[in-house]
Amino acid sequence: MDSLERVRRTLAFQPCDRPPVIAQVFAHAALASGRSLEDYVSSGSVAAACQLEALAHYRYDAVFSVLDLTLEAEALGGGIQARPGLYPAVIRSPCHPDDDFARLPVPDPKAAGRLPRVLEMATLLRRGCGDEVAVVGLVQGPMTLAVQFLGMERALYLAADDPDRFVQLLDYAARVAKAFGLAQLAAGAHLVLVFEPAGCPEVVPPALFRELIGPLLAGMFTAFEQAGALGNWLHIAGRTEAILPRYAGLGADIGCFDYCVDPRVLLDSAGTRRLALAGNVKPLSFVTESTSVIERESIHLLRLFDPRGGFILSSGCEIPPEAREANVAAMVRAARDWRGQT
Amino acid sequence: MTADLESLVQALTDGERERSLEVVAALVSGGTRALDIITAGVEPAMAALDRKCTAEQFNLLEIMLAGRAVMAVIRRLFPEEAALPTPRGSVVVAVLEGDIHDIGKAIVKVLLQGSRFRVIDCGKDASTAAVIAAAAQSGAEAICVSGLISSVIPQVRGLKPALAQAGLAHVPVLAGGAALKQCEASALNVDHVCQTAFDAIAYLNSLAEARRG
Repeated sequence: MDSLERVRRTLAFQPCDRPPVIAQVFAHAALASGRSLEDYVSSGSVAAACQLEALAHYRYDAVFSVLDLTLEAEALGGGIQARPGLYPAVIRSPCHPDDDFARLPVPDPKAAGRLPRVLEMATLLRRGCGDEVAVVGLVQGPMTLAVQFLGMERALYLAADDPDRFVQLLDYAARVAKAFGLAQLAAGAHLVLVFEPAGCPEVVPPALFRELIGPLLAGMFTAFEQAGALGNWLHIAGRTEAILPRYAGLGADIGCFDYCVDPRVLLDSAGTRRLALAGNVKPLSFVTESTSVIERESIHLLRLFDPRGGFILSSGCEIPPEAREANVAAMVRAARDWRGQT
Repeated sequence: MTADLESLVQALTDGERERSLEVVAALVSGGTRALDIITAGVEPAMAALDRKCTAEQFNLLEIMLAGRAVMAVIRRLFPEEAALPTPRGSVVVAVLEGDIHDIGKAIVKVLLQGSRFRVIDCGKDASTAAVIAAAAQSGAEAICVSGLISSVIPQVRGLKPALAQAGLAHVPVLAGGAALKQCEASALNVDHVCQTAFDAIAYLNSLAEARRG
């Protein structure tokens, strides 16, 4: 069974030879292949080569067509700061609270900023993986983009002080995300991960997620499904127990959960029965812990979710670029050897 | 507590800045002293927020709104920061070199000010040397560092040894933020790892209690 089929079956809760293992490796792929982070984030072809080398090395079940998380703000004209050895950062928000969000143009993914480099990356990864290994694109969700477009404080204060305009901002952000996601699918991604950490109940009340963010995510997922996505992946970090049961109803097929969520809670949750779950080895442990710790955590998760199915062994969030290679390999090995252990 | 001070506590915990300022205006015109408004209005509101946060019923949006309301009240009562009543001591806050995500630091700063600490803000991407200089100059009783990304960890680990070299080994270092709160205090070489911003206040309060014996 190849990786893509393994992921497909897992999303459908069908039997497969072993659970998929998807390490959220972005720029770690560059460092693991001896290249710099700066080279990785500035070239789609370099990033694709790094991802393919990392795939050959680790043999996990998916690769990510991801550069960094400043792309959308940069495409809108925001100020981006390149930093040696680090991901770039948004240092000047591209929008202002007084902007007419209903009329702002959506940046063209084929032309704006570095968005075309992501599309190039997706195409190269699909060429390299064919239909054997899942190629996963990434867009940031509407709340996360709203925060990036205005800055955290201004976006949250707008939500409280002028809800109508905040809704317009969210709607605009969702249009930006949808256009970028559809372009990634057209360029070769099998599916798109929607990264929405600002939708976490630790950031905004669950009611705001339910009433404002959720419907926009649902619209994006419908569009991605209609464009032929293998599935829809929703990734929200932090204490997400209060909203995870809603994911499937929005059209998500995979829900990420990170170390902040006790996986046993999800086993008992009726709301997550139709949702494949991806998690939750602690990301920082790939930097700080030994391989035996990673292996133990991975086996614990595999054992816990084995009766349920619909489980992807993962880190629940990005594995830091400086992670120890042996630790990433230990998580992958735990999944690949799983059936031999049971 | 009078009915007006109770309504101030409610307005602050609800994050309603304008209503809080209206209540404060009424209290002041009725002769309530500014210091009493702080001790019987703002501080109970901060305690109520702490309880709500401990019960995991809180989120960043509500903390920011409450913090904005608290700061508006303090600024209205004490336009000059130096005039803050009976400050409880100085605390240095910073995001260390390599990290420019400062929302966590901003929240800690507001909560510290609402708890009557004098705050020296070294900003984001701050060098260890700048943080130590600020601590030395202000006679800080603690340093709070916030980190969202894991690459800042080496700078955090280096802070205590650098403080010791500067003769400030007695100044406790508190760490928090998405990346740092995944670590044990020993792994970061700090005195305490905060899971929330309120955790920092609680730890500083416990230090103060310990000093009082």
